[in-house]
Parts: sequence; C-alpha cells; structure tokens
Amino acid sequence: MDIELELFGALRDLEAGDRLRLPVPGETVADLREALTVYATGHWPRIAAGLLKSCAFATADSVLRDSAPLPADGHMVVLPPVSGG
Amino acid sequence: MGHHFVHVADRANEVLDPAAALEFVSDPGFGGVTMFVGRVRDLNQGREVAGISYDLYRPLALARFGEIAEQAQREFGPALKLYIAHALGRLAVGELAVVIAAGTPHRDEAFRACRLAIEAVKHSAPIWKQEHYVDGDSVWSEGCSLCDAPAVHAATSPAPAHDHDDPQR
Repeated sequence: MDIELELFGALRDLEAGDRLRLPVPGETVADLREALTVYATGHWPRIAAGLLKSCAFATADSVLRDSAPLPADGHMVVLPPVSGG
Repeated sequence: MGHHFVHVADRANEVLDPAAALEFVSDPGFGGVTMFVGRVRDLNQGREVAGISYDLYRPLALARFGEIAEQAQREFGPALKLYIAHALGRLAVGELAVVIAAGTPHRDEAFRACRLAIEAVKHSAPIWKQEHYVDGDSVWSEGCSLCDAPAVHAATSPAPAHDHDDPQR
C-alpha cells in the first residue's frame, strides 16, 4: 500500500515539502522502515548515518512498534530522536 | 477532571506564561507548588548560541503530555495539579522553551511530580530542537530515540543515564 509520510526535525531538511508518498511492499511498520531506508539511499545523500534506524513511526495517537500493522488510512509520521525541553 | 493542563505555544502568536502555570496549579488545599522553567542558554558545548528553533508534532505531543500527567497523577495521588507547556518555533537566547508546574498538598510530591514531568517531556515527547549558532551554522540536536518508547517509566529517574545538549544545563 502507499503510505503518506510526514517528516519532522532533521528529516525536514532532506525532502522538499516535508512530506513523502511511499509505496510499501508489505503490511507492517518494519516493511515501511525498509522501504524508507531504500528510498533514503537513493534520495537523501546528506542523511546522518544510522538516523533512520533510530527513527520511530507514529500516527497522531501513538508510536507504533515495527511489528505493528500499517494504519488503514495510510498516514504516518516519522519521528527522529527527540530533543525537547 | 481539570487536574492537568497541557499546551503548545507557537512563538509566532504567544510566549509561555509561568504566572498562568502557577495560577493553574494553585489550590487552597495545596501547601506545595513547584515550577520548572527551561530557557534558551547562550552557550552549548563551547559554541555561542543565537537561538533555538523547536519543531513539534502537535497532536502526539499533546497526547504525550496528557499521558505524562496521568502517570504523575497515578504516582503522586489524585490531588495533584500539573501544568505542561512547550514552545514551538524560533526562540532567542533567554526566551522560555518549556514551563512545568505542579501543585500538591505537600512539597515532596510537588518536587517529584515536576521532575517526573520535565524528564518525561524531554525524553519521550515528539519535539525537536535545532540550535542556531552565532557563527551562522545550525544543527539539529541528536536526541533520544522513541523506538523503545513508551518512556514514562524510564523518564521517572531523576538522573538520566545519558546527557543531552539541552539549553538548561
């Protein structure tokens, strides 16, 4: 399914418009992480090494583990390591 | 219940208000009120800081603040009143990044609830800090991965196991 991703923090600097529509060949967050990693290899030469491994994927309600199914509405956000306060 | 208040203050429209925080957590039955105010510091790791931009995912941040407040309520009792507000957007040195206030019948719970809340906000809320330096460079802070969140439990420790280049230290 296609997933509409919204990007935050350091990821905003990598993609114009801070959004990305990504076809995901699979049904879990782990499949999305893999698809985004492949995309980053081709499109984001400036991304910090290992950053995607420490990013979390979430909906407006909650952070989803890698084993979780992708949300039916196809909308997710990518959350780099957080640094509030 | 009205026992906690969570807020995101977009710097374009407003600034954080410590007086409002104190007012919210005040109660005739409370002998203890504590507040933590995080401000943008002028120096980080030897570099002169001109300002900080905070990026934030509002719906999840507000949900997280609410969960933190509920966790604090479970830990410190139903009387607790807690106020959590964080800034969004570009702040100059000295401006307020975060305001946490706690009110309880006695001081110990007020100190501990305030500490729990600020640590949980720093380590588990979807907020990102980009430091702008006087030399013109800007850098996103490295931060804390949410991959193994929910982190309220981990965030209750008063001494984080790792350092952050946060503006309040």
